[in-house]
Amino acid sequence: MKNLNRSKYVLATFSSLLLMLIVTTANSEVYPEPGDFAKGAKTWANNCNRCHNLRDPKDLTDDQWITTVFHMRVRAGLTGQQTRDIITFLQQSNNSTPVQKKSVSKVVNSVGTGLTGEQIYTQTCIACHGGNGAGTVPGAPNFSSKNSPLSKSDDELVKNISEGFQTPGSPMAMPAKGGNSKLNEQDVRNVLSYIRAKFSKK
Amino acid sequence: MRKHNNVFKQKKLALIIAALLPLSANADVKYDELKAQVEALQNQLNQVQLVLQEYQNQSEKSNQQVEELKKEVAQNDNLNQEIADIKKEVSSAGEWRNPNTLIHMSGYADIGYSSVNDSYSIGNFTPIFHYQYKDLVMLEAELEMAIDAQGETEMGLEYITIDLFLNDYVTFVGGRFLSPIGQFRQNLHPSWINKQVSAPPGFGHDGAAPTSEMGFQLRGGFELAEKNLNYAFYVSNGPELIAEQGHDGFELEGIIAEGLARDSDKNKTFGGRLGFIPMNGLEIGLSAATGKASVTEVELEDAGGHTAQYAFADMVNYKSEEGDTIDLHDEQARDYNVIGFDFAYRLNNFQLRGEYVKTKIGEATRGETASEGANWSSWFTQASYLIPNSKWEPAIRYTDFTAPAAAVSQEQWALGINYQFTSSVIGKATYEINDGLSGFRTDENRLLLQLAYGF
Repeated sequence: MKNLNRSKYVLATFSSLLLMLIVTTANSEVYPEPGDFAKGAKTWANNCNRCHNLRDPKDLTDDQWITTVFHMRVRAGLTGQQTRDIITFLQQSNNSTPVQKKSVSKVVNSVGTGLTGEQIYTQTCIACHGGNGAGTVPGAPNFSSKNSPLSKSDDELVKNISEGFQTPGSPMAMPAKGGNSKLNEQDVRNVLSYIRAKFSKK
Repeated sequence: MRKHNNVFKQKKLALIIAALLPLSANADVKYDELKAQVEALQNQLNQVQLVLQEYQNQSEKSNQQVEELKKEVAQNDNLNQEIADIKKEVSSAGEWRNPNTLIHMSGYADIGYSSVNDSYSIGNFTPIFHYQYKDLVMLEAELEMAIDAQGETEMGLEYITIDLFLNDYVTFVGGRFLSPIGQFRQNLHPSWINKQVSAPPGFGHDGAAPTSEMGFQLRGGFELAEKNLNYAFYVSNGPELIAEQGHDGFELEGIIAEGLARDSDKNKTFGGRLGFIPMNGLEIGLSAATGKASVTEVELEDAGGHTAQYAFADMVNYKSEEGDTIDLHDEQARDYNVIGFDFAYRLNNFQLRGEYVKTKIGEATRGETASEGANWSSWFTQASYLIPNSKWEPAIRYTDFTAPAAAVSQEQWALGINYQFTSSVIGKATYEINDGLSGFRTDENRLLLQLAYGF
């Protein structure tokens, strides 16, 4: 009898809570609603690999990422905003544009952003690589360390940045162009020059 | 007179000649003028002819251009048609790209080898179906298929839920769902995620931790001062119990906590988990559940000492061959309580996690299977490290599982080495050092190999 009363009490509480939540349901008219790319990168890196390896954004298409991240919203207890941020990051990061030979790439994408290397770094790279270049998410390298990727040639780094790259043994892949598809080759070279000037060990 | 006439004639002739001489000179001038005019006209005519010829040439050229233009127009028509076709294709592709309903299949599968029976096996093929309507609702269903020792295909519905995204912080999940007690059952058991080939003892089926529930839950998360908190609270039908007939009466043998579609004791189970993420890379979870559970299955021992399991699905009377009657209609509902604690910590390529769960069943003072209560508990700790600049990941896990049945209790060290072909294709080798009741499989060491693919 005591247990029965307890059950009724808890059920009533749940029902009231549920009713209240249904009344306050606030789903977006615009679907899929865009999120914040930079926050999505950090949320993805900091949450998903607590349980499993981080998958390459290129593993799935845009619509597949929607259902996959909503599935993970339920499993991992993500908020709606975190879900939208992660989807935005992954959808913008799964477009890989291979670097063409110079003469072709200028024709293919000659517009670019017109931004300086510093501006591009601040807008696109800083979320994962940090203001000090030491990396803020698992897998992001420390640009100032001894074995920094900056020891590689410009051409190799431009290719890696443009097409996306994952160091073997690293838990996270860098998305193509850091997820900013508007960057052209000159933009990539500009931001690389900025990174070298700012973080390379003299 | 005649002479006068002649003179007159001569004079007249002279006058005529005199008069005509200037006329003759005037005729020469006119001739020249006429000649010049004719020549000018001839020139003009030539020019006109030239112009006409030029016009004719231009006309032919224009005709050619017109013909070429006609051809170009014809080509443009084809181009326009191609553009229209492409637009149509893009439009139809766009329809599929941004529909209100999305359909997706993910899941995992694995194949393997066990040294215990020296056999290859298909571990599981586990597709997960997702049907999502906008950001409002998602249907999730996971099938679990396996091939048994006789080659027969076994199939089960691991979970099926309808998830209503009520707002940014609350999701209603109704149906049969993976138990939110702890982390292993709900998030870590898929073979491409689990760092070892096997589940830690006590965290599989019939273990210390419930595997799934039938009912509904409210789940979600919050961000508080840049810290994350997640939660899951559920109401379910709860578990049922298995009792074994011993020499001195019945003893509790096992717990069936696999999302039963009936509530035999009419008492609901309430439970949930709270997860805290105080810093990046660290999560701490607390779980608990409470409710009632009653015995619905018994294992009876015959005269030869063999046991047989009987399920009383419809709660009817059972009469053994010896004529003994067991009526489980009025089995006392026992207290059912679960507590759990879990943590996960990650620092770059190093990961450490652990989980503890204890299920406590109370005593029953009445009913056919009245007996003392019993406890099931298990805890594991696991460390893994992905070697930098490689795809190799050694992993080690220690588990201690205690159950009322000595043959089930087990202490285990699992030493594993994994190779990550990709982030979701993992080759695993695990050597288990098992310490259980002598003579039972829980006491046998074994080598397990597995290739797991999460898709």
